[in-house]
Amino acid sequence: MKRYFNLGLLVLLLWVFTLLSCHRETVVTPIESTKLLNGTWKITKALRNGTDLTSRFDFSGFKIVFQDSTYTLDSLVPFPVTENGAFHLDDPKYPFKLFLKAGDGDYKELNMDYPINAGVRNIIISFSPGCSSNTYQYTLQKVN
Amino acid sequence: MCMLSKLLQKIKGARLWQAALLLLLTTVVIISCSITIDSIDQPDSVQGGETLTSTLHVTINTNDTRSAKFMVALLVPKVWNASGNAKITFTSSITTGTQTMSAIPAGTAAPQAGGKDWPTLIADKIGNGGNLLPGWEWVAFYSDKAYSVVANDAITVTITIKAKVSNDNLSFKLGYVVANSSDGLSDAQYYASAFPGCFRVFGQGDLMDYCNPQLSSIDPLSAMDNDIITLNFDAGVIDSELKDADELYLCLKGVTTKGDTLDGCAQNDRTRLSTYALKKWRIDIWPRQFFNLSKSQQLESLVYYFTDKTGQVKVGKDGTGAVPFTYTFKCQ
Repeated sequence: MKRYFNLGLLVLLLWVFTLLSCHRETVVTPIESTKLLNGTWKITKALRNGTDLTSRFDFSGFKIVFQDSTYTLDSLVPFPVTENGAFHLDDPKYPFKLFLKAGDGDYKELNMDYPINAGVRNIIISFSPGCSSNTYQYTLQKVN
Repeated sequence: MCMLSKLLQKIKGARLWQAALLLLLTTVVIISCSITIDSIDQPDSVQGGETLTSTLHVTINTNDTRSAKFMVALLVPKVWNASGNAKITFTSSITTGTQTMSAIPAGTAAPQAGGKDWPTLIADKIGNGGNLLPGWEWVAFYSDKAYSVVANDAITVTITIKAKVSNDNLSFKLGYVVANSSDGLSDAQYYASAFPGCFRVFGQGDLMDYCNPQLSSIDPLSAMDNDIITLNFDAGVIDSELKDADELYLCLKGVTTKGDTLDGCAQNDRTRLSTYALKKWRIDIWPRQFFNLSKSQQLESLVYYFTDKTGQVKVGKDGTGAVPFTYTFKCQ
């Protein structure tokens, strides 16, 4: 009889502890930040049709400064635009396209990735400045 | 008890023998599977813009019953755009009438290839047929239907390839691969490849010679003046006065669409080539920047030599200073 009593007590205590261990879970939805390109960016890697040209061609003459919705450009390398102008992203939170508009011209659409590699934010853009069969991919990093 | 133990041992021994026999039979059957390209009917040349017709005679020896699609891949110059301009059909001893094939969309994973698509898999495993310039590609086709085969059958297949070639003037080493959608290139017995030699297209423009080593080549083969182009010089191809040079320079002239000639011939840091392998030199230029073109100017072609540091020794197309190299800007 005593053994049954002890077993009942144990089950009761387990039930109480189980109930006490429950708590309301708060689900926090992460808020993706808006991507701001503001700053000066330079080329750190350049591919032509997959061939790495970074150390073979002088890309140091390229500099693009994004500020709010405009950009200014110093370009001594092939690039989709050659003059200063306006820009916007297809989605400020999840950008996959960068649109550049030089002067009064039309917007040029560039494919874009925005990864963080080794703790550093990169912009990777791809485009064809000459023949459409030749694809260039530039990796840009912000100048500190 | 002792008898029971012996009986059990006999049974185990028999099972072992059965398993060994089964393994042996399986091995024999698998080894007996094969696919071969017996012969190829292909012309030596065509005129630019015409259609190349090739016929492959293939034999497939089956080892088991299965259903799979037939795969044919072509090694061709990219400028032909073979995925859109080539048609492949076949007849066989197990089908009635002409069977059709369609280009496999790029990126479609090949079987047993770790996610690689057919062009990547074939390039990795079989190569590029010895073509010496960039601008080649493997284009793979699947039969539109899957076919069931029975074990131990010898199937003959006649494949007809009709590929409309571009107007480009070129010589190229064509290649062919046959396989199936089930085994892929997982083992040498499951596929066959053939490279029938150098094929010539008498087209327009400078000759793009994939077959023979070139004294000079430009990469990409198709480019505009707003591309970065690489001018290569292979000093080991023929005996020229620059064969053993320790410094090389580019003597370049640009011809605009209006017929003006722009002179970029000099021996300085801007025109100096770098060496990247024994007797192999190259220089990367952006023609618009090199000639400081205005917005309204556009280049139609380049005329160039390679020189020593004095500029006195010039080497052009024939290894002397008599005929310059030429390059015409164009897109595919």
